[in-house]
Amino acid sequence: MTTSQATSPASRWSMAPDRAVLLSRLINIAALLGLIGVLAGSLHLQFGAGEQPCPLCIVQRSGMIGLAVGPIMNLLWGMKARHYALSILAAVAGGAGSTRQILLHIADPNDPGYGPEVFGWHLYTWALVTFVIAIVGCALLIMWQAPFEAGDRGVLRDAGPMRPIVTGLVVWLSLVVVIWVTIDLAVIGLSVIPECGLGECPDDPENTNSLGNLGGWFAVLAVGVVAAVIAAIIERRWKAREASS
Amino acid sequence: MLLMFVVWLVVFIGIFRGWRWVPLLALANLAYTLLVLRIHMTDPIPLNF
Repeated sequence: MTTSQATSPASRWSMAPDRAVLLSRLINIAALLGLIGVLAGSLHLQFGAGEQPCPLCIVQRSGMIGLAVGPIMNLLWGMKARHYALSILAAVAGGAGSTRQILLHIADPNDPGYGPEVFGWHLYTWALVTFVIAIVGCALLIMWQAPFEAGDRGVLRDAGPMRPIVTGLVVWLSLVVVIWVTIDLAVIGLSVIPECGLGECPDDPENTNSLGNLGGWFAVLAVGVVAAVIAAIIERRWKAREASS
Repeated sequence: MLLMFVVWLVVFIGIFRGWRWVPLLALANLAYTLLVLRIHMTDPIPLNF
């Protein structure tokens, strides 16, 4: 290495590739945990507090789950800028739903808003904040080149200690979605169809201001425990297949 | 409307299985999400969104 290379700005500030990948993976895991927490909160409100989501709420939930696809791809397939781009697009889609819901309620000064408030803001407002933070965060991570240049292949191919953790998180998120879809199909038959018939439900339903108990939270945590067990079983199968090949 | 979430589950499975068309499926699902949003714009607001 020449003297100019040793003292160049890039070499002074650059991070070792393996550390860059590790830090990037931890950031993506933290994002995934945050999204699981957000979805758990919405499910608690629905099943713990009995507040059915409006159609716009469901659109925002879809955006939140789409937001998780980028970190999942980064962790399982390796760090790529296009994975962050997918999350940005999901945040735009979800943010469109949040914006629509905010505009519906601020257009009328006498409108109290829809659903419970957390620290003075409704959930759709917090959803928009989340989507905006996600867009900014993904944009900043795209600017950080080190993880992309490290040649990360993802935890699916690198059988390290992170693989069962990532598997457990993805299985947890998937189980939460599966259970919600399954229960909601039953709820639809009992409550939505009597309310809306087979047509569209109003996107600005009546206000509900109840807050529920901790039962919903415990249910989501229990699903997390099940997800950890499933992840451990999957990891054991992978290791057995790698040992035999 | 619940189809959105079934497709997300397919996306998650596809990521584990390494299906390379999964990003396209995710993009299609986001477009479907926006379509659902547009369909549910049933109440007029002054800004005419």
